[in-house]
Amino acid sequence: MRHLGLKARMAVVGSILFAFYAVAAVVVMGVFDWPLALVLLASVAFVGVQYKIGKWMALRSVGAEDLPEERAPDLHRRVESLARDMGIDKPRLMIASMGVPNAFAVGRKGAGTVVVSEELLRTLDDSEVAGVLAHELAHIRNRDVVMMVLGQGVASIVAIVAQWAVLLTGDNDIADFFLAIVVGQLTQMLVMLFVFAISRYREYVADGDAADAIGTGEPLARALEKISRGAEGRESQMDAQAAALCIFDDRGGLANLLSTHPPVEKRIERLRR
Amino acid sequence: MADVRTLLAAVLGLLLGTVCLVAPDAVVRVQFAGRRPPGRGGEYGTDAVSDRWRHLIRLLGVGFVVAGGYFGYVALG
Repeated sequence: MRHLGLKARMAVVGSILFAFYAVAAVVVMGVFDWPLALVLLASVAFVGVQYKIGKWMALRSVGAEDLPEERAPDLHRRVESLARDMGIDKPRLMIASMGVPNAFAVGRKGAGTVVVSEELLRTLDDSEVAGVLAHELAHIRNRDVVMMVLGQGVASIVAIVAQWAVLLTGDNDIADFFLAIVVGQLTQMLVMLFVFAISRYREYVADGDAADAIGTGEPLARALEKISRGAEGRESQMDAQAAALCIFDDRGGLANLLSTHPPVEKRIERLRR
Repeated sequence: MADVRTLLAAVLGLLLGTVCLVAPDAVVRVQFAGRRPPGRGGEYGTDAVSDRWRHLIRLLGVGFVVAGGYFGYVALG
């Protein structure tokens, strides 16, 4: 059975998220007198709109453009071959100038898009780019983007309901409005802790799938190493100024729990095992 | 006697403000996950955020701490 560990973890996190959602749904049904069907319909519409807008905004925010086949025939052939090996439709391939080497996937199986930055293509060699592409295709195949949107959707719904619960039970003075905002934010953070935990594990799974697809984890490990070395060089030039502004290292306990990605060093280590 | 809700606003406001000041990247990630591509402002394989967002969240953190302090003063003063 493929990804048994992931399925087990998804069952646990899915149950926790469902419990949060169920509490929020019961509150809405009780306070606003909404029937269950209306609560479910509104939830699906909310998450659906988030998914559509999220995809559009992700592409727009980096100024992604279609990468025509004539401009990068080798890259297109590589994506087509990897997609075929991984049993998914070839995703739409786009390019953007992001200022740093980067790549990401949006959409779902059958309607996926992979965006690569011009800087990434300049920094990495062909096999390393293939490793990165395989990782992004694995995200599409494993429905990681949809899972993240769904998780964010549940977190947002629970946060909104928590805000309204505070507002409707108070005197509507300024302290109540402030309390509602703060409770909403903290509730969203609490729910996202669980979403992020599964997201970090999904990164390892996508790394493993990429290694399986291209036969070795070495190219992706090299790509991550090369990119993080480049980043360290840039950061060391900024460290003196940035250190003055940082009270604590932002990769500490809470920051780690609220990270979508595991540390790069750990990913490289696992890819080379 | 202190109003419980005002006191709660103070305590939770200070808590959220502290989180914004100590871990601004984490706060941005909570808002952006599933809405924007990861690694904006950072490189591939990371979920770093841009300095602009980091500064904005720290500014908001100062606001939450000030407001939390004010409500604490109102509740206990």
